Amino acid sequence: MASTSQCIASLARLSIATATRRPTPSIIPKLLLPSVVTPSFVRHASGSGSGGMRKRAPKKKKTYKAFRSYDQSDLEQYSLCDAMRYLRAFEVGQPPHIIKYEVHVKLKAQKNGPVVRNRIRFPFAVKSDTRIGVICPEDSPMMEEARQLGAVAVGEESLFESIRAGNFPFNKLICHTDSKEALKKANVGKLLGPKGLMPSERHGTITSNLKATIGEMIGSDEYRERDGVVRMAIGQLGFSPQMLADNLKAVMETIKRDMDGIIEDGHPKSLDEVVLSTTHGPAFSLNGKFNPTDEKIQPQDLQSAM
Amino acid sequence: MVGVIRRMHHLKDILALRTGPGAAILPENVSRIHIEFCHRMNGGHMGPRKFWQENLPKIKFWNPAVPIIVNRLEILDGPAKMTIYFRDNQKSAPSTQSTIQLNSSSTGTSPAPVPADGERTVVVDMKARHSTEILSDFLALTSAVPVKATPQEDIEMRELEDLKRRGEIDRAETRKTLEAERREKARLALAMNEAASIKAAAT
Repeated sequence: MASTSQCIASLARLSIATATRRPTPSIIPKLLLPSVVTPSFVRHASGSGSGGMRKRAPKKKKTYKAFRSYDQSDLEQYSLCDAMRYLRAFEVGQPPHIIKYEVHVKLKAQKNGPVVRNRIRFPFAVKSDTRIGVICPEDSPMMEEARQLGAVAVGEESLFESIRAGNFPFNKLICHTDSKEALKKANVGKLLGPKGLMPSERHGTITSNLKATIGEMIGSDEYRERDGVVRMAIGQLGFSPQMLADNLKAVMETIKRDMDGIIEDGHPKSLDEVVLSTTHGPAFSLNGKFNPTDEKIQPQDLQSAM
Repeated sequence: MVGVIRRMHHLKDILALRTGPGAAILPENVSRIHIEFCHRMNGGHMGPRKFWQENLPKIKFWNPAVPIIVNRLEILDGPAKMTIYFRDNQKSAPSTQSTIQLNSSSTGTSPAPVPADGERTVVVDMKARHSTEILSDFLALTSAVPVKATPQEDIEMRELEDLKRRGEIDRAETRKTLEAERREKARLALAMNEAASIKAAAT
């Protein structure tokens, strides 16, 4: 239709006398024309026109190479103290050393390739529930040393007995090299293995340096990227805003360093979003600022006992 | 992670804790609050628990500097008490640092502390009382000033309610179509089954 009206318009421009003339329809009746020439106005479902429905191949689901990244123009972001104020309100009346602040660092990353994964030592220790058991020869100086370093269960045969009885007072177990043979003979692998507690040299849990191993276990946390997000606990609810900020800074620095290391391998990753939440609380996207927006609230107000 | 808009709708719904029963600013002389009740609700501990879950976050949001300690007892038939600590205005306020800092506990290890020098206490019995009663008692005793929602917040609330209503309608419609589809599918499967059995019987 558009072409005819265009045609008419151009004709009108040429001369008014011929403007009313329409293109003459063909004199030959449509029936007599060979079928090939006939302009077909009927549309068929299948291109060939042979009739019948042809089954289409099932639509392939679109796959993306990178994890999805959203437009953040509608995202409300909060300063650290504002987010803490809300979260402390949500967690009111909860034991402050058990409830943890969590951070979720979303990365712009490809689905394949290496992931960000590392260990971090926080300026302020987060974990409050590390209970370490140490297998070492009974009545040895190592036993006393382990006790002093904060181990909850120490011993050799006495510890194996309690393990066989189904009593696990620890959630991390290390073994001194002197007790390695005793551990092998004790036949407790079936009990410890499923819990991931069995000491092994590969994991660095059979050691001769108890101090270094226990220090590493208490003070450091592991993190890894899953589905393009690094999630980890970065503080206890009782922390002050400054303490939390220090821990957060430490995490962000190590993650950035990890990302830089991966970029060299040709797998670019960049920071997308940083979200703060708690064990029971909602999640707040952070805008990188520290101070509260309400001028009546000071950062030191957010460190009262919970 | 979930899409941004959906997240924001959900967050706005949650952040209604800025307004509502319990959103009130406590006067300067309230130094701390201690609340004690049992884990089990039988024996009149439902009111205190609801007060903790529904009103206390709002109080905490508007008074972040006031320590609010909740001590939940594991015994079956314990007390349910709220202790409000007031500091005397005449005397120099006892600094919160000097008093022993008690933390909330879920195992009953934080009983109400003895009032410090220059502090007086008021004890409210919460047992077998509704949370609204407890709240009105609390607000009256502390003479707290309720916080009213700003016009902006009112508009946001109304928008959220609209959204919920529309969502409910949409959900009903979707459910209807889905159920019709499922019914159709089931009927087809039944017919196919019958046809197959007839075929099997014929041969």
